[in-house]
Formats: sequence, C-alpha cells, structure tokens
Amino acid sequence: MRIASGNRRDSSRAGRWPRALLVVAGAAALAGTGSGGRADEPDAADMAHARTVAATVCGTCHGVDGNSTQPKFPRLAGQKASYLVNQLKAFRAQTRGDPDAIGYMWGMASQLDDETIEALAAYYAAQKAAASGGGNSALIAHGREVYQHGLAADGVPACSSCHGADAHGTQEFPRLAGQHAQYILKQLASFQSNMRKVAIMHGVAQNLRLPEMEAVAAYLEVQP
Amino acid sequence: MPRNTLIGVSRNLAATAIALASLAAVPPAQAVPSFARQTGMACEACHTVFPELTHFGRVFKANGYTLTNQKQVQDVTGKKEELLALSQFPPLSIMAQISYTQMKTGVPDLSNAGAPGVAQNGTAGFPQQFSLFYAGKIAPHLGAFFQLTYENDAGTIGIDNSDIRFADEALLPDNQTLTYGVSLNNNPTVQDLWNSTPAWGFPYAASNANVSPLAGTAIAGPFAQNVAGLTAYLWWNESLYAEVGGYRSAQQGVTNSLTGGAGPLDGTASNVLSGLAPYWRVAYEFNRDRHSLEIGAYGAEFKVFPGGSPDSPSPLSGPTNRFNDVAEDLQYQFIGEDNLFSVTATHIHESMSLDASFASGASANPSNTLSTTEVAATYYYRRKIGGTVQYFQTTGSTDTVLYPATPPGGPGVITSANGSPDTRGYIAELNYVPWLNVKLSLQYTWFTKFNGAASNYDGNGRNASDNDTLYLLLWFAY
Repeated sequence: MRIASGNRRDSSRAGRWPRALLVVAGAAALAGTGSGGRADEPDAADMAHARTVAATVCGTCHGVDGNSTQPKFPRLAGQKASYLVNQLKAFRAQTRGDPDAIGYMWGMASQLDDETIEALAAYYAAQKAAASGGGNSALIAHGREVYQHGLAADGVPACSSCHGADAHGTQEFPRLAGQHAQYILKQLASFQSNMRKVAIMHGVAQNLRLPEMEAVAAYLEVQP
Repeated sequence: MPRNTLIGVSRNLAATAIALASLAAVPPAQAVPSFARQTGMACEACHTVFPELTHFGRVFKANGYTLTNQKQVQDVTGKKEELLALSQFPPLSIMAQISYTQMKTGVPDLSNAGAPGVAQNGTAGFPQQFSLFYAGKIAPHLGAFFQLTYENDAGTIGIDNSDIRFADEALLPDNQTLTYGVSLNNNPTVQDLWNSTPAWGFPYAASNANVSPLAGTAIAGPFAQNVAGLTAYLWWNESLYAEVGGYRSAQQGVTNSLTGGAGPLDGTASNVLSGLAPYWRVAYEFNRDRHSLEIGAYGAEFKVFPGGSPDSPSPLSGPTNRFNDVAEDLQYQFIGEDNLFSVTATHIHESMSLDASFASGASANPSNTLSTTEVAATYYYRRKIGGTVQYFQTTGSTDTVLYPATPPGGPGVITSANGSPDTRGYIAELNYVPWLNVKLSLQYTWFTKFNGAASNYDGNGRNASDNDTLYLLLWFAY
C-alpha cells in the first residue's frame, strides 16, 4: 500500500509531472502570502483517492472520519485545510519536531506529494467533528476563562483572539474545539520546550503553567 | 513453557521429546527494524515494547506488511497497471539473542555410563540465536516475513517463522473498512495478530538450556516450521476478525529413503500430518481511548501418523492420532504516554484420540485430554523499564505410557513417576530497554508442579523446583 497519489490513477510520468509542477508553482506563489493556503482545488479523483487513503491508512490512528478515539492521535475532523496542509508539509520536510511527529508522521508524510496533501486536507476539513464527552466542570470553567480572556497578570493573551471564540480556528490558526485534551497538553509542552517551533505559541506557552494548560485542554476537549 | 505432548506419541519418546521440546521452548523472536525502515516510523508505532504489537502493528500485519514510505522503483503498463514497486532498500534485519541459563539443580551427565556425574550448570549461549530477516513489502499487495535462524543447540542455520501475505482493503458504505487477505505460513498462529496466541505469546524469549515438561498442545509449537499452511482472513472495521485455512506437512531436513529427495514423505519420518489439518480463528477487538481489548477463539485439528525414524520406519497409512485443539484467548492493552500495561491470556483444550498409538501400545489410553492455561500481565514505564509476570498450568489425563516413568537405572528428570502431565508455575521477568531495539532481560521460572508432582516427580528424587531456571538475556535487532 502506498499513499502518494502518483501510483494510483496516473502512474505514468508523462501524465503526472505537468500537474505536479503546477501544484509546486502554485504553492510557491501562495507561500509568499504567508497563508500557506491551498495551491489547487482537489478534483473529484483527488477526493476519492483521499477518502481511500484516509480510510485505509490515516484512519487506523486518526479515525476514518477524522474523529480519532485515541488521545495520542489528534482529531482531524473539521480541521482547517490550510493548517493540515502546513502540518503535512512540515512533517514531510521534517521541520515539525515534537516527539510523535518524529516517531510517526515524518515517515508517514515523507513520500506524500502535494496533490495528496491538498486532497487529504480537504477531506478531513469536510468531515463533521463528533461531540466529545464531559469532564470536570470546575476545570472546564477555569479553562474557559483562560481561553476566552487569557491571563493578563502573566502576559498570556486570550486563546480566542487567534483560534476564535468558538475555537473553530481561522484561515491561519487551527481548530481546537473537540481536540483530545492529552494531545493539546503535549503540544503546549512541545511549544514550551521549542521542540515544536512556533514562535507565537512558544511565547504563549512559556507563560502558561501546567494547571492552566490542563484547564484549557479540558475546556477545549468538550467544545462542539 | 508446557509444550509438546504430541511428540510423546512417537516411538522414541524421550529422545524426540527432548529434541522437539527444546525447539519449541525457544519462542521465535520478531523484532524487525526493517519494518521501521520501510515505514519511516519508530518501533513504538507498531509495538508497545517489541515484540508485543499495538493496534497499528496489527493493522500493518493484516495489510501484508506492505505499507511503505520509501521511494519505489516502479514499472507500469500502458493501462496504468502496476507491474513492480520495489523499495529502494531491501527490508533486511538482523537479530541476536545472547543468554545465560542457570538451573536451580543441574541435570545428570550421561556421557560416561561407567562414571555418571552432573552436567555443568550455567550455560552461556553466545549466541543462543542469531537471525536474518527479510521482512517487508515484495509487491504492491504482497509482503513477507522470512526468518533464517542459527540456534546454538542445533548448531546449524535453518528456516524459522515465515509468513507470506497477500492483502488488500475495501471501503464499505458508512466509512467502514474490510481488510482481506491470505497468508502462506509455516507455523499455526504465526499469522495471528494478537500476542495471546502461542506463536507470539509470552515468554517472548526463553532458555533453551533448561528442562521442559513432557506435555504441550499440538497447536502450540510442535509443528512449527514443519508445516505449510494457507489461510484466508477477513477483518471488518479493524474489529471483527475471522480466518480459516489448513496445514499440511512440509518437513525440513527429511529425505525420502528411496530417492534421497526432499519427498514424498515416507515411513522414516515422524509427526507427519495425514491430509490437511484445518485451522480456524475468530476474534473481536475493541479500541477506545487508550484501551484495546480483544476476545477470541481459535483451534485446529491435526491427524498425525505415528511415524517412525530411519532406524525404525512405520508406514504412513492406517490409523492416526487425532489432536483436536480448541482455545479461547484474551488481550487487554492500556497504552499511555508514561504507563503501558497489558494482559494476555489463553486456554487451550486438547482432545486426543490416539487410535494409532493405543493400537501399538505407545499410549495407555485410547483417548486423553490436555489443557493449558497461560495468563501474563506486563507493565512498562515509558517503554524503558518494565516486567511481566505469568502463571502457566498444564493439566491432563494420566497416561503412564505417554508420560512414562523412569526405567530402572534411568536418569529421570524428563519423566513422570505417576504418568501425569500436570505442570504449573510462574515466570517473572524484568526488562530494561535502553533503546527501542535493545532489551536486557532477567527472567526466573518457578515450577510448583512438574510432570505430575511437586516433589520426587521422576521417582528419582528430583523435585519440580529443581527445574527452576534463571535466564539472563541480551536481545537486540537492527
């Protein structure tokens, strides 16, 4: 089983290269905007392939519909396509360096071509995020406070200012609603230690203490 | 540990029993970094700590070991059919086990009948086992796990566990999946996905320089590497699993007495299967959060010619001995970031109809039963330090010919004074895993009962606890 699109519907080089070049060119053009947005709208064949790859490869960990049941693996349903594209490319380029990225996704993404990345991102973005269960209500209430208003005394800005009041994300920033609390905690720790190098989040996480991280993670996990 | 009643049915009981029991007492080992190279993923994706599989590891195996994230050398037809997809690096691995075994009480030295002594207690295995693997993709839906092993007891290189698979996956409505495939393999349960069945069950490594009990079930080892099996399986939604197939004798190191060729098998061979031995397996796996639970059943029926040896041939016709094994198994795993915990358990019930052996006087009863139970619990902290505790038990019919007493003047040790196969005990193992492909183990086996009794089980004064074994192991794969 391979997951790059090259050998499924168009294995001949003559058929593949022009399109791939277009994608690369498009990506390069968009890279300058800083949005990391999609270079090309996936067509029906791309989407069908993405669904197959998602179900037979990605789905084992992330869930066929992106609603992973195991907290080690992030939920991808309803995630912003632009964010997914950026992450898959960062795994492929080995520039995202948190432990599970290294152990799992550097390998999985290493041979993905841009077409497949775009299509997978579009597929997961189109999936409906499933509702998560409840949690400790006091912790969630504290998390809501931190998420919506930040911690002024510690210089922590409101998470909602970038990720949205409903935590559904924006073009530039990922959806956090419904994400596994354990996954969010691990990412915050990786931002803090700079294993996952994201300047904005490094700054935010440096001023967050563990109880606040746990509260925010608990709050986000139960958001619809 | 309890292994191999089957061999007790053949004629040269004691000698064959020792030979085969020692083979089966060394569980095949299967940490294969070539899979990591092929997928580009760390060991922890497929293993808690090698060789125990995670859910992802089971999916990888069920899909025929074909998931690859390597660049491919390809060829296609004009209709875009794939003719070739070769990884740029072959999926090769090596593995070594270096061990030291100390029994509580040594065994008699029979080398000098005139002046019997005691064999040296404390056996270094350097290596105990050394293996070369080809483990990975062969073609787009075809993969293999081939193991070639040198073992210090045989002193030779031979074929070890092998499993060649064709597999594919279908998408069903409502995002459901159906994995289907066929496995061509040489050891019943070697193709299984869970660590609660014999081939990949605990202990994952054990001494080959100790004393093994007389009895074990047919499905748990005696046919390993001497059969060819073809099984077909379905795995629905990575949950409901069903498999059926059959095994036929494919003996290694045996020649036809007339032609000198590798076959046909004749009356000089022992443990030859009559026809095809059917194999079946059903299981259900449930995954949620950090938990994975599997409950299943499996079984096989072996009809075996009593067979003979080059010195004492016996025709491969007439009555056979039938071993019908039915087993239940369970596996639970909790896989957290820091704490990993798993439980594996299996109970195998064997019904023997010993038509051939009873007729020839090689068994006291026309039919017997034998049951084995093994329950193991494993804990690891951050995949670095951990351990396993296992309880094992064998119970069965008393048969004073199948499980014979010590003959007058005999050395005992591998005999049973009361004809009972009953054996039970515990294994405790401590492991240190400095890197994910290197393991240091300290294992101790306690026998509270051995071949039918706790004390003086062989009638020569040897107690079950005399066979307690300390085993140190350095195990790595690259």
